[in-house]
Amino acid sequence: MNIQQELRDAARKLLAEGGVDQIIGWSSGSLPMSSTPLFAATKEEADDLIFDATCGSNLTVYFTKDRRQIARDGKKSGVVVKGCDARSIVLNLKENQIKRDDVVIIGVPCDGIIDRSKVEDKTGGREVLEFSDNGKNISVKGRGFDIDIPRTEVLSDSCISCVHPDAGMSDIFIGEPRGEQKTKDQYLSVEQFEELSAEERWERTKQEYSKCIRCYACRNVCPSCYCNECFVDQNDPQWIGKTLDLSDTIIFHVIRNLHVAGRCVECGSCERACPMDIRLLLLNRKVAKEVAERFGMETGVDPDAKPAMSDFREGEKQDFIMG
Amino acid sequence: MNDWQPKILAILCTWCSYAGADLAGVSRIQYPPNIRVVKVPCSGRVDPLFIMKSLQSGYDGILVSGCHPGDCHYMSGNFVARRRFAVLKPLLEFIGIEPDRVQFSWVSAGEGERFAQVVTKVTEDVKKLGPAKRLVKQV
Amino acid sequence: MIRLEKDGFKNFIEELIAEYAVFAPVMKDGKHMFGNISSVEDIDSSRLNTEMSPKEIFFPHSEVLFEYDEDGIRVADGEKKPIAVWGMRGCDARSLRMLDKVFGGDGERPDNIKFEDPYWERRYGDSLIFSVACNEPLSTCFCNWFDSGPHDSAGADIFVVDIGDAFLMDAVSGKGEEFLKGLSGSGKASEKDKKKAAVIAEEAVSLLGKKTDLGELNDKLKGLFHKPIWDSVSAKCVNCGACSFTCSTCHCFDIQDESRKGRGKRVRIWDACMFPIFTKEASGHNPRSLSKERVRQRVMHKYSYFVDNHGEFLCTGCGRCISVCPVNLDIREVIREVLAS
Ligand code: SF4
Ligand code: SF4
Ligand code: SF4
Ligand code: SF4
Repeated sequence: MNIQQELRDAARKLLAEGGVDQIIGWSSGSLPMSSTPLFAATKEEADDLIFDATCGSNLTVYFTKDRRQIARDGKKSGVVVKGCDARSIVLNLKENQIKRDDVVIIGVPCDGIIDRSKVEDKTGGREVLEFSDNGKNISVKGRGFDIDIPRTEVLSDSCISCVHPDAGMSDIFIGEPRGEQKTKDQYLSVEQFEELSAEERWERTKQEYSKCIRCYACRNVCPSCYCNECFVDQNDPQWIGKTLDLSDTIIFHVIRNLHVAGRCVECGSCERACPMDIRLLLLNRKVAKEVAERFGMETGVDPDAKPAMSDFREGEKQDFIMG
Repeated sequence: MNDWQPKILAILCTWCSYAGADLAGVSRIQYPPNIRVVKVPCSGRVDPLFIMKSLQSGYDGILVSGCHPGDCHYMSGNFVARRRFAVLKPLLEFIGIEPDRVQFSWVSAGEGERFAQVVTKVTEDVKKLGPAKRLVKQV
Repeated sequence: MIRLEKDGFKNFIEELIAEYAVFAPVMKDGKHMFGNISSVEDIDSSRLNTEMSPKEIFFPHSEVLFEYDEDGIRVADGEKKPIAVWGMRGCDARSLRMLDKVFGGDGERPDNIKFEDPYWERRYGDSLIFSVACNEPLSTCFCNWFDSGPHDSAGADIFVVDIGDAFLMDAVSGKGEEFLKGLSGSGKASEKDKKKAAVIAEEAVSLLGKKTDLGELNDKLKGLFHKPIWDSVSAKCVNCGACSFTCSTCHCFDIQDESRKGRGKRVRIWDACMFPIFTKEASGHNPRSLSKERVRQRVMHKYSYFVDNHGEFLCTGCGRCISVCPVNLDIREVIREVLAS
């Protein structure tokens, strides 16, 4: 039985007898190579559930922010989660954004999510009209082209060095767990960037972030960014300007990264959401690396651990303090 | 360029480092006049946004100083702050901000001498870097 | 109708650049958008629709309205040369006409107040727009819903069809006619050329999806304001500004002062009804505090209020919001859902 059918059956069962009001999952999107969030409240709707390499959005976001009226407030929701998404659930449970009793976690094993912008680069911008994925290659067709691309070349940055592809915390697990991935290269992109001179790093930072149009899609799809009022939206005092001034833009991103320090699960939703294809994860990864090396923590992996930035050890390394 | 004097913002916790600065003053210990002091209740009050904002408005250097670990008036304020700075500092370096622009120290109320040394060191470091440009906003 | 050989294109663009500040689709840091070009090599026509809409040429994301200091107020100078845009798509050319109803002086307004935004006017007022017909529309294109199509010349000064070895150009406005008169290196289009263009147009139309009749849309929407439909329509929206900022017709803005001691500037900055702060009042109260209220506003403004005020939908069917939305909230599905309710 394929995982999709298993998923639908589980969802039907939860809706029928599990006391669950809705299943939050993905269904096919309106475009080729896309998926869209689905809030299935009936058995028929549950038959639209899918899980494949297009199911990138981290659905935990529907438990937070003002979207919470959808998933919370007296409703019991089943939610389908990949490895990274499950870590978001763990974090949000710890931070009291979700009540454990309000959620049934349906875990799936993940083979990585396709980054549409990488596929577009491969097709030279020509529109993809058909898409399929055999687990090793994806094939994309459009007017005047029909190409196979190795998956590894179009996977999201977040998935290239993913360590926890299976939902770590789940009530129901669908399919075969892939197990923890041993990767030496978890922080490869960070290390490569660190090698560059300060001058060069600044040039790259400028180049990347000057593309930002301040649409906040990155922030809004992030399940860790749930402040009732984000610091960029505060206007009394107004902390940062709203124009495309580069220093304002960079400050927005640096502070957002610090706000999700020890709370980012590296799901890559922000990067995939960005309409300007800014390689946002590099900074998240850098922060994750510091958090891991300094505090020995990974977000949302240990359900009992406090989030890194609200915790401390007295004897911690403080090499950055003036001697 | 030789007579260029950097502007440095010193964010000091009221219980230790500010008192240390005070002691340096009453003991008439000399240190460079480049710092502008902002007093905060605790280093734990220092939001990274304060630091970014100061860089943006043209400070050439930032010094944040609080009580030594274990001496925080509020028990754990500086421990929490330390984690924050431990991530902020490498992140700023990562995006290409010069490491010496933003510095952190622990100075107690009894360390007037040390306060002077810290300020001297930070001033010299920042002088070597020259005026800040990278995050400065032109209005 | 005029025929310009592709061999003569380089020359044509050079002549254009001599007289105008020329904008055309370019690839900038991997993104396809309109940019000020300095030679024909800068043009990149590899994609049909630019990812950012050309509204930013005339209505930039952040625009300094004026600067001030102790000596007084200064308004920044406009472009020295008039603007010409090569490679605009029909939908985008039409979007400028819509925006002109808001910012331009000639717009019909229900209140009969004439207002002309000088910053818009000095760019759009004497601009020259070359619409290049779409020979291969995308699956996200739905211009046909708005009684337009891939070979619609509306909104252009000069309408261009790419017939392979040459461009056929037709004047649509007086300005366009004037320009074509003085154009060197071109000949008259032959009957054969015209036939070829007609075949291409027919093919292009056939590639579009099925048209939905929008005749009832405004009336439907009027009755739906308080209905629960907005709960389901908005459920997946995360209220970012991606759709509004890439949209060719969204035009809401904020005005802020950025000042330092003794000097400052007043800036106009894109804003979006999707952001909670957009409607937040000084008291702290927000009349559109919920996601669904903001989604409703976006839909209502485009397909009802603007129709009441200016006689047409504030949407061209360019499809940018569809391809950019991180949760695939497809505006076509919203419209269909509204019509079906
Ligand atoms: S910051 Fe980006 S990668 Fe991290 S949790 Fe948020 S959306 Fe996911
Ligand atoms: S999604 Fe991209 S363009 Fe939008 S605010 Fe985030 S980084 Fe900027
Ligand atoms: S419709 Fe899509 S792009 Fe627009 S605000 Fe909602 S989530 Fe963002
Ligand atoms: S609403 Fe969407 S389709 Fe309509 S003009 Fe705006 S971006 Fe284009």
